[in-house]
Amino acid sequence: MKNILKLALATTMLMPAAALAQDAVEVTLWHMEQPPHRVARVQELIDAFNAANPGIVVKQEPQNWGEVYAKTPAALAAGQGPDMLFAIPDFTPILKDIGALTSVEDFVKELDEKHDFVDSTVEAYSYDGGVWAVPLYNMAMNLWYRKSVLEAAGVEVPTTWDEWRAAAEKLSVDGVSGMGLPANKQLYTDQTVYSVMVNGGATEIYNEDGTLRFDNPETVGAYEFYTDLHQFSPADSTSWTWGEAEACFSSQTCAMVMQFSVIATYDTQAEGDASDLGVAAIPSKDGGEHNTISYANAVMLLSTDEAKMEASKKFVSFLLEPENYGRFLNMEPGLFMPVTADGAEAETFWSDPMVEKYREQIETVIENSQNGRLFGFTSGRTFPSIAAISAQNIIAETLQSIVVSGQSAAEAVAAGQARMEEVAQ
Amino acid sequence: MNRSLGLNAALVACIAFFVTLVGLPFWWVVSGSIKIPQEIIARTPTMFPQSFTLQHYQKLFDASAYPVYLVNSLIVAASSTVLTLLLAIPAAYAFFRLVFPARGVLYRTILLAYAFPSIVVLIPLFGLFAKVGLVDRLPALIIVNVAFALPFSIWMLRSFLAGVPKEIEEAAVMDGAPTLTILRRIMIPLIAPGIASVGIYAFVTAWTEYVFASVLILSDAKRTLPVGFSGIIGQYQIDWGLLLAGATVAIVPVVAIFALIGRGFVSGLTEGAVK
Repeated sequence: MKNILKLALATTMLMPAAALAQDAVEVTLWHMEQPPHRVARVQELIDAFNAANPGIVVKQEPQNWGEVYAKTPAALAAGQGPDMLFAIPDFTPILKDIGALTSVEDFVKELDEKHDFVDSTVEAYSYDGGVWAVPLYNMAMNLWYRKSVLEAAGVEVPTTWDEWRAAAEKLSVDGVSGMGLPANKQLYTDQTVYSVMVNGGATEIYNEDGTLRFDNPETVGAYEFYTDLHQFSPADSTSWTWGEAEACFSSQTCAMVMQFSVIATYDTQAEGDASDLGVAAIPSKDGGEHNTISYANAVMLLSTDEAKMEASKKFVSFLLEPENYGRFLNMEPGLFMPVTADGAEAETFWSDPMVEKYREQIETVIENSQNGRLFGFTSGRTFPSIAAISAQNIIAETLQSIVVSGQSAAEAVAAGQARMEEVAQ
Repeated sequence: MNRSLGLNAALVACIAFFVTLVGLPFWWVVSGSIKIPQEIIARTPTMFPQSFTLQHYQKLFDASAYPVYLVNSLIVAASSTVLTLLLAIPAAYAFFRLVFPARGVLYRTILLAYAFPSIVVLIPLFGLFAKVGLVDRLPALIIVNVAFALPFSIWMLRSFLAGVPKEIEEAAVMDGAPTLTILRRIMIPLIAPGIASVGIYAFVTAWTEYVFASVLILSDAKRTLPVGFSGIIGQYQIDWGLLLAGATVAIVPVVAIFALIGRGFVSGLTEGAVK
């Protein structure tokens, strides 16, 4: 009898917790920030959110960029997909086209009123009469250098293409490569080539009617310049991804590189002297406005269940609150930049020790990111073929045709447009 | 047979060359894993470490889910190996000894599964496994690994069985031994080197499998080493020390299994070759 009473008492005590757990809305977040310290930071924020919202349980399942394009449609079709999924602009059209997305325009408008999004980050997800993801953080390409190296060579920070070439040539001494530029058929090369294109008047790859305009004199000019500059890169740069370029810079084998950020590696794997690290906007052809490629990373809300959708929105709102947002961005200090005005001023962002140390550089990066562009997402309209063009790295492939196969820039760009038209069909 | 000094020197030089060729990448990875970050990416690479640190290993085991990936990989690879052997041995014996309709056609057909590119069946398989509740579960990977390793394993083992003198089997038959006893007591011990070879093949295939593991597994806690590790090392910013430490630990089980049954593997390769 005593045991039965004990059991009844225990059951009564546990009931509310069990009932609560049963009623809690569980939402799953897929993101591609897999390095352990980033996963740990996201988990800290999830724990704080879950504690403040007893009716919601958010859990994370980190994924890999390499597989997520194929994995997500399959998982969604099988009913095993996430409720929230991080995205870059060329990923979103794939899910939109299979009907997995509903517009979050009203939600983005509400967040915009509160936090003031950087316009270009919302534009990258605004087309076909809707907004398909909520911007979360920005990444923009910059020119990185060591101040002491440039000073020793008597070189000013380049602002035009002519100055850039001259600087790279002058810095290429004693086994040092003046400018580390990739020429691999890979996304990093897409990004660096496009960073040159947007500074040479070749921003648009589509006409207004959706036909391609990749093959034009400005694009050819940008490729010619890039190829010319590439002669000052290490011989193995035809197989580079981001990591190799960063290592080249950190080891002082490359005097300058184009990267989103080198801060973390420079600080932990190189000399880490913040006062010597320089960052500048990508030089433009004639010294006019400096543009760059920028990736406005965002989160797509995929749930068709109303309660889960509301829970997802609540979590996204929580992330964008300034008291949380800085901690979120600093999961990788110096790489992820704010997309909101209040986020750019958030105490939680600037108080991180690494951000404090490299404040000067980070302020420059944020400034540069204001002129961010992304191929296929520049005209306020997007065309589905951009996903295939991006996935097949045709911009980088075009460069390889010049650097590796020896074609002229004009021939390679014409062939590049033909390839784009082929995959667009 | 006496060899001249010159020939001996040439042989030693040849061996030294190939040992260096094979061993150098391993040395580079292992020695790099104990260097400090600055030395790893130094402009002038150092063949022998000028510094010593275990910080990369510490980070690997303390701050990442690497141990979880390691255990998952061991479970998947060991289970796949055992299951492959359990199925391949009787299947190979059946193809070798038993007479049944379309034996020859079937024997050739099973190799088609081996030749099939895995990427082609990836999405249909995902749908199939989702229906039976196997997505995000390690048994899904074991099934896939076994399915892909089995055809070649059967093919290989049949060749080893064919190498056993027929008279031994006939003597057992005359003594009244049933088929299963012949297989268990006579054929299996005789083709032990072949079984070791197939075991190593199945283990290494499962240990390094990436495509299915990357798609069929959704949660971090179920990830195997190749997929989990590729995430740990990062995309935009690579932690080279962590990469080298992880790669070093990842080759340990393979080296261990070769050390344990390597002799059988080499002998198995030879026997299969001269059949």
